[in-house]
Amino acid sequence: MSTKDITLTVNGETHSLTVEPRMLLIHAIREELDLTGSHIGCDTGNCGACTVVKDGEAIKSCLTFAVQADGSEIETVEGMEDHPDADGGLHPIQEGFEQEHGLQCGYCTPGMIMAGKAILDENPNPTEEEIREGISGNLCRCTGYQNIVKSIQYASDKLDENGEVAAADGGRAETDGGFTCGVENCCGGTGFDHTGGDNE
Amino acid sequence: MKSAPFEHHEPETVAEAVSLLEALDEPTILAGGQSLVPMLRFRLANPDAVIDLNRIDELDYLEEADGMLRIGALARHVDIEESALIADRYGSFADAAPLVADPQIRNRGTIAGSVAQADPKGDWASVLLAHDGEVVARGPDGERVIPADEFFLLPYDTTLDENEMITELRVPTPLDREGSAYHKLKRKTGDYAMAGSAVRIVLDEEGTIETAGIGLTAVDITNVRATDAEESLVGERPSKEAFKQAGELAAEQSHPESDEHGDASYKERMVNVLTQRALADAAERAGLVVKRVTA
Ligand SMILES: Cc1cc2nc3c(=O)[nH]c(=O)nc-3n(C[C@H](O)[C@H](O)[C@H](O)COP(=O)(O)OP(=O)(O)OC[C@H]3O[C@@H](n4cnc5c(N)ncnc54)[C@H](O)[C@@H]3O)c2cc1C
Ligand code: FES
Ligand code: FES
Repeated sequence: MSTKDITLTVNGETHSLTVEPRMLLIHAIREELDLTGSHIGCDTGNCGACTVVKDGEAIKSCLTFAVQADGSEIETVEGMEDHPDADGGLHPIQEGFEQEHGLQCGYCTPGMIMAGKAILDENPNPTEEEIREGISGNLCRCTGYQNIVKSIQYASDKLDENGEVAAADGGRAETDGGFTCGVENCCGGTGFDHTGGDNE
Repeated sequence: MKSAPFEHHEPETVAEAVSLLEALDEPTILAGGQSLVPMLRFRLANPDAVIDLNRIDELDYLEEADGMLRIGALARHVDIEESALIADRYGSFADAAPLVADPQIRNRGTIAGSVAQADPKGDWASVLLAHDGEVVARGPDGERVIPADEFFLLPYDTTLDENEMITELRVPTPLDREGSAYHKLKRKTGDYAMAGSAVRIVLDEEGTIETAGIGLTAVDITNVRATDAEESLVGERPSKEAFKQAGELAAEQSHPESDEHGDASYKERMVNVLTQRALADAAERAGLVVKRVTA
């Protein structure tokens, strides 16, 4: 039986695995890495419960072999609380699902949250229609989607507010060049060296 | 269910992939995997070896060159969806992309994989047919260009040889006064088509239709051209009447099957309507306005 050695970086942590080529990414995540947040709903690419973000794009991890993800960065629902936007608590998208009652049984939720993350990463201020389109690969048997859409809108607003706070305090809330005020060499934007050492 | 065990090969060049195709015993090509992974898992395909194209960077492109729009075998549905070039100049491609499957599947699935899959419910084959497109294949004997018209044989069966792979799909770049469109009927977002119609028309200087291409989805054993409808349009000026006649002829030439989503006569009626709507959009994009069909 042939196996392959692969490396997966999941939620920032790098794992080396030896897998059979036929192992699906969802099985590697759930069974090898014991991250059971991502669910298997259908196993045929229809439901979206297994949605993870791979190298910045939402994918269905039941439609990819683990060997195909060798060397890539994977984000799953377990990583959301450690994301900088979570600020030590729940990530704004998770908070949205809590505040807006975006879940009932919760089975679809990890996939919805990751689909929601991919939507907001690409477009921080999506319209309702864009949110609906963005989660169109994810099925929910319980909620009727209304509150899922609201949950993602909540996160979009919350992230906006956080952004404004960051802007108001001169960008100190987000260091290391993540924020640029537009003035060169002012507050951590292009070319500014915080250590003040050999900056010309 | 798990796939049967297989060896996973990851060539980095087309030349390497072609030598693997020749050397291995009945290998299967893996592109986006959005159709193949479920087929392997249901053991509809049981290859000993899988040749994964995803690390062949030279296949990842979408560009216009030498009078052709060239779609590399690793161009994904999302690349078409997000391309400014496509949005500006290729109406049918721009219409079809967001109607294929759902965002996650569009992030992975390729246009070439969809054409190779030759599922008559697939959308891209119709677009390729309407545009008089070509499939570029590479095998041990070098390159072969197959007209889309000669590519599709049966559901899931094409004229591609076992030791050949698709490297590129291509269609002629649009002429002046050309317009194209794609209309698809599906029950909900993410579903395959119940029926679909891809249309391309080119007008001459007087505004008469010089060339017409119509490709239909999900209404026959393969994606098919509505040749009677195409012929009826050539030499006509775009008008509601001409489009109505073409829609009727397209419906007559289609052979949909009744299923739980609709009976054959309903689907034929939909082919008629979708073709008329696509023609109206195509004419508008070619620079004319013909009133849309509402029924
Ligand atoms: C839930 C769901 C909904 C979908 N809805 C739609 C839809 O609405 N419309 C639609 O058109 N499609 C739909 N699809 C299919 C989707 O578009 C796939 O992406 C596509 O059919 C296959 O492309 P792929 O790159 O994933 O190919 P793969 O799955 O990797 O391969 C498919 C087949 O093509 C062969 N192949 C792939 N690339 C090549 C190549 N370069 N040369 C030779 N052979 C090759 C493979 O060997 C295999 O037999 C859907 C799929 C799913 C799972
Ligand atoms: S489990 Fe992957 S889409 Fe349903
Ligand atoms: S909350 Fe139950 S499936 Fe969505």
